[in-house]
Amino acid sequence: MAVSGEAQRLRGMTTYRLQRGLGRMSLYVVLIVGAVVMLLPFFWMLSTSFKTLVDAMRIPPIWIPSPLQWQNYPAAWHAAPFARYFFNSFFISSMTMVGEVITCIFAGYAFAKMKFFGKHVLFLLVLATFMIPGHMLLVPSYVLVRGLGWYDTYWALIMPWITSGFGIFLMRQFFRTLPDELWDAARIDGCPRVRYVLQIAVPMVRPGIATVALLQFINSWNSFLWVLIMTDSPLMRTIPVGLRFFQMEAGTEYPMLMAASTMAIVPVIILFFFAQKHFVRGLARTGVK
Amino acid sequence: MAGRRGLRNPRALRESGEAYLYLLPAFFILGLFTFYPFVDAFRMSFQNVRTGVRIDGQLIPFFREYIGLTNFQILFRDRHFLQALTQTSIYVAISVPLTLGLALLLATALNQALRMRAFFRLAYFIPYITPVVALAMVWTWIYHDRVGLLNYILGLFGISRMRWLNDPSLALPAIILFNVLRYVGYQALILLAGMQNIERTYYEAARVDGASPAKAWRHITVPLLTPQLFFVFLISLMGAYRIFDEVFILFAGGAGPLGSARTIVFYLYDQAFNNFRLGRAAAASVVLFGIIFVLALFQITVTQRRVHYDQ
Repeated sequence: MAVSGEAQRLRGMTTYRLQRGLGRMSLYVVLIVGAVVMLLPFFWMLSTSFKTLVDAMRIPPIWIPSPLQWQNYPAAWHAAPFARYFFNSFFISSMTMVGEVITCIFAGYAFAKMKFFGKHVLFLLVLATFMIPGHMLLVPSYVLVRGLGWYDTYWALIMPWITSGFGIFLMRQFFRTLPDELWDAARIDGCPRVRYVLQIAVPMVRPGIATVALLQFINSWNSFLWVLIMTDSPLMRTIPVGLRFFQMEAGTEYPMLMAASTMAIVPVIILFFFAQKHFVRGLARTGVK
Repeated sequence: MAGRRGLRNPRALRESGEAYLYLLPAFFILGLFTFYPFVDAFRMSFQNVRTGVRIDGQLIPFFREYIGLTNFQILFRDRHFLQALTQTSIYVAISVPLTLGLALLLATALNQALRMRAFFRLAYFIPYITPVVALAMVWTWIYHDRVGLLNYILGLFGISRMRWLNDPSLALPAIILFNVLRYVGYQALILLAGMQNIERTYYEAARVDGASPAKAWRHITVPLLTPQLFFVFLISLMGAYRIFDEVFILFAGGAGPLGSARTIVFYLYDQAFNNFRLGRAAAASVVLFGIIFVLALFQITVTQRRVHYDQ
């Protein structure tokens, strides 16, 4: 009786191990299938971008075209002023990134480490921006931008985006981790606060700054509707808006469309690849606590 | 108390002054481009607004005049607005829980998987950081009626061809599929970060008490993850109501077959920038804000009772 009980327990353990092993394997199978589903559109985009129009329309599809039709890239590049679109996107994204970093460093530091009248109310205002849907501001912003005479200029694409409630909040969270003694020591040595912030505090929260900068750069790079309504001339278009107009012109020239999409996506993926750490850190910070 | 007394001494006063200087650039921009337009949106929703644009070569001078509730009255009699409201709500009601549910499962799986984590992170996260316009363009190709990749793959499983972007009943499913894939990895990474913050000791205690992994997941992981779940739910709810870019590209700047892809923001855009009815568009945006505000309030009150905070 006791022996058979023991045997049963042992058999139970083996099945448990077996189940665990199977579970582990099916876990990876599911994750890999999911990853393939995620990456397939990108592969398909790349694959199509190297095909002739005729090959692109074949069923069953050709997965890896041969020979590779490289000429789709220069063709797309010259079919629309993509060089200008790239310049605009780089310029606008870089400027908003720099602006965002500067304004958020100072505002974030003030909220994290300084005492001032009305701090609580002002910080609530920063948090309140999270609740305002950006699309609600489109129409009044359009009227405002027209009123300022900024319609169809870089000003309209840069100035409204050189700060954000989220960036201020994030920088505050990072500055709060610095010990107060650091500033006390600097102050006793007669260091003015601005110098302390820029030369001592800022280097210590470099990861936070990288996160804020990256998120802003990507946001600007991907921004569509704002640029669509605030600009008129082709010279002011960014890549997403340029792509949209190219879509209207190219119609069903899918290989060229996919080549253009690839050109728009690659910079972001390179950026992500080298800065994954900061993205993930930013994400972890966005969770409450 | 100390702070209040502190304000009378000159050093604290100087600190206040310096702090305001630090805040000035950020608040100047927020004031001009967030708070002012926010208030102005409400004002405009009660106005007839024309801006200095050319319509058929004729310059319409800028003017605004109060017309009471007219915009809202027109809005709620407008078939297209009601359609936009209904369709956006259906989209939100399906895609938000669906994405979050899948993200929770995905995060659980990623939490178990020790190998290839960097690869998975990259694969699942890429759709989220990709410019949505470019990705949507790729999907117009994948959804192609005749030679699209999706129909080909479905065909392998014996499912007959579907006219994804040309059939009124498939427009919403097409948008939902696109966005579930786009957001699931992002949401999973936030949840994963939360899971990795849960103390190991809880799980050890559960194992000692003989709880199965499934039980531990149900009674430890999920309850302790509620702050993150709540956060993700709220931002995706607010985000989903604002859907526009992907729809605009997928349906080539239109509202889809029979308007089946018309969303609130599309309606807003169409009214303001194709028909130059800025007041009515502002009214639509106020309705959008109202919906999001009520949902957020509801969420927050529920959370007060339900969220388990660690510590």
